[in-house]
Amino acid sequence: MIRVAAVGDIHMGPDSQGLLRPAFETLPECADLLLLAGDLTRHGTPEEARVVAQEVRGLPVPVVAVLGNHDHHDEQPEKVTGILQEAGVTVLEGEGTVVECGPVSVGIAGAKGFGGGFVGRSAGEFGEPLMKEFVRTTRRSADSLRGALEDVRARGCEVRVALTHFSPVADTLAGEPPEIYPFLGSYLLAEAIDTAGADLSVHGHAHAGTEHGMTAGGVRVRNVAQPVIRRAFNVYQLPTTD
Amino acid sequence: MSENAAPRPGDPGGGAENAEYRVAHLRDRLAAEELGELGVRAEVRAGAVVVTGTVPSAQCRETLLRTVHEELAGLAVHTDVVVAETASPDHAEDLS
Repeated sequence: MIRVAAVGDIHMGPDSQGLLRPAFETLPECADLLLLAGDLTRHGTPEEARVVAQEVRGLPVPVVAVLGNHDHHDEQPEKVTGILQEAGVTVLEGEGTVVECGPVSVGIAGAKGFGGGFVGRSAGEFGEPLMKEFVRTTRRSADSLRGALEDVRARGCEVRVALTHFSPVADTLAGEPPEIYPFLGSYLLAEAIDTAGADLSVHGHAHAGTEHGMTAGGVRVRNVAQPVIRRAFNVYQLPTTD
Repeated sequence: MSENAAPRPGDPGGGAENAEYRVAHLRDRLAAEELGELGVRAEVRAGAVVVTGTVPSAQCRETLLRTVHEELAGLAVHTDVVVAETASPDHAEDLS
């Protein structure tokens, strides 16, 4: 059994240093790894990223993250990524990583994702260049997620997790105004997950959403935005064959 | 027409005091200023503005409430804003 801890939308700033650290220090007792599902900062500034880095530095479990839209706001995502990496965090954008948990290889495929909406109510790649670019951005992100899931499968991972910030399904948005669903996620992410296969899909972004959902292909989806799970993180136990 | 008559539809200047636009401007301000807050909901309900959501720290909550009351001065405002909880979970979810 693999124990995956996950949280998103922790939105750290200078005033929040140390708020999550006491809970994170309990991770070795209850989890094999920690996933951070984006929106780790408020504005994506290096100062805020350093708060996050300090909060997770030296944890005895591997930490794997994707960035969220807030982490892009200051238009320095590479710098935010670098600061987190320096603290030992593996930051994914359209790629996979393998975490060895005893005899089990766990593959994490990560991409921020983007919006566009869900089947029957989604934006199309049509019309003005900005509109086409919006949808193409999501399509590229979904393609990279699919590729990352295929990559970790090829690397022999028994357990595979898709980590995004935006939601792949509408289920986990329940509680948000339906009018804003197209800004909260895209079915293209779910299609990528179902095409490549995964054991779990974890995302954040929808603070007023719902924790539990499922893709059309039957992959369980969990919205781990901190305001949704109302804890420092949640833990999901995934079965293995050993 | 008396001086106190409400502006008629189509008269200029009718937008500035409109509660719906003021709520929209509040949301813009919460996103743009120090909070960078997009996750709090503010909506007009039965003649009052209702502000709900979860913020990351007690200081964020103070800043948020101060901004709300500044931006919506003169309007009836109800708030239900909580600080995110930071405890460890007491159990795991079994996905077998």
